[in-house]
Amino acid sequence: MDDRSEQREVLEAAMLAGHILLENGAEIFRVEETMDRICHHYGIQSGSSFVLSNGIFTTAGNQREEIFAKVQHIPVSGTHLDRVAAVNQLSREIEAGSFTPGEVKEKLNEIQKMPGKPKQMQILASGIGSACFCYLFGGNLKDASAAFCSGVLLYGYLIYLAGPHLSKLVGNMGGGAFVTALCTLMYLLRLGDHLNYMIIGSIMPLIPGVAFTNAIRDIADGDYIAGSVRMLDALLVFFCIAMGVGLVFGLFHRFTGGGLL
Amino acid sequence: MTAVYETAAAALGTVAFALLFGVPAIYYPYCGLIGGTGWLVYSMLAQSCSEPAAALFATIAVIFLSRIFAVRKQCPVTIFLISGIFPLVPGALVYWTAYYIVTDDTALAARTGFLALKVAVAIVLGIVFVFELPQGFFQFAAKKDRQALDEKGRK
Repeated sequence: MDDRSEQREVLEAAMLAGHILLENGAEIFRVEETMDRICHHYGIQSGSSFVLSNGIFTTAGNQREEIFAKVQHIPVSGTHLDRVAAVNQLSREIEAGSFTPGEVKEKLNEIQKMPGKPKQMQILASGIGSACFCYLFGGNLKDASAAFCSGVLLYGYLIYLAGPHLSKLVGNMGGGAFVTALCTLMYLLRLGDHLNYMIIGSIMPLIPGVAFTNAIRDIADGDYIAGSVRMLDALLVFFCIAMGVGLVFGLFHRFTGGGLL
Repeated sequence: MTAVYETAAAALGTVAFALLFGVPAIYYPYCGLIGGTGWLVYSMLAQSCSEPAAALFATIAVIFLSRIFAVRKQCPVTIFLISGIFPLVPGALVYWTAYYIVTDDTALAARTGFLALKVAVAIVLGIVFVFELPQGFFQFAAKKDRQALDEKGRK
């Protein structure tokens, strides 16, 4: 392990593994541990990394090992837990088997390119989820089928409009408003019986469950900075959804003179 | 009978959200099982004790199961945890808070908002408690022939 380029390759592979994990919704603890494991397995003793919710800082170097430093900004995108699982599996295989650092990097590149679920399937899943939660929180079957429609349309909005074109705050506010307007419309057309349950079901795809859960776990692990940033993220999204819903409700309230609510 | 339908709806909803988060398809049944169990515990307890207490015990059940399956299937616990906890996240309470604010019922809005916060804190406590258990505690769930590998398993 005195070959300098190999050392560099190991650190770059560790960085890439951390990048994939962080980007796709893993906890800080797991990112740091995986990077350390990869470094240690290939005999780099001096590697150390500092991970925030949207960036990784890695350095290495002592009397015997070459100095290496890298900072990477990682904007949080969607959650792909299959990639997290794949990197986790790979890190087990690295410890058990005999991959060269080059092979590890190749495998990581493959993982990074793993295709997500097709869009139609995601949209369908969003509809099914909305319908289920609408039923769960007290709606009847008619409400659930209305929630299915608005869940499907909401995810279409998220994938094609909010995701690529809108900021997170405006996107979520728009999502909340969109769902409320849609459900009110269906309610007025008598496609559902309980407006509230329809809306509750259909806003579920917007709820920041990943950010909320990861925030708690990071804080519990002692990663306060990353945890509080993620918690702030989750709370802001909650707040924006409520704003969007409230905005449209307020408008309807005004136009219908309070008859609707 | 309603409880059965509700549990089934919770399980199906959990699977739908598992798909949105990109969970590998082989884990869908476990995600559904965990989400359904969480809701079952919650709805049974919600009749006899307060909502935050019900959420606390339901969260404990969800995370306990998630950790067991994570050890058994040798994969990150996040996979089961995030989708399984979804039925318990107080999205409905946040909605009611917004609703009462718009309808000018400030007292009720404050009470509902505070309840949402209490449920969130209960979920936090549940997560923290169960993750405090050492990894070795879950070794009973590991497959026998892979025990050596699991020694290195992570939570």
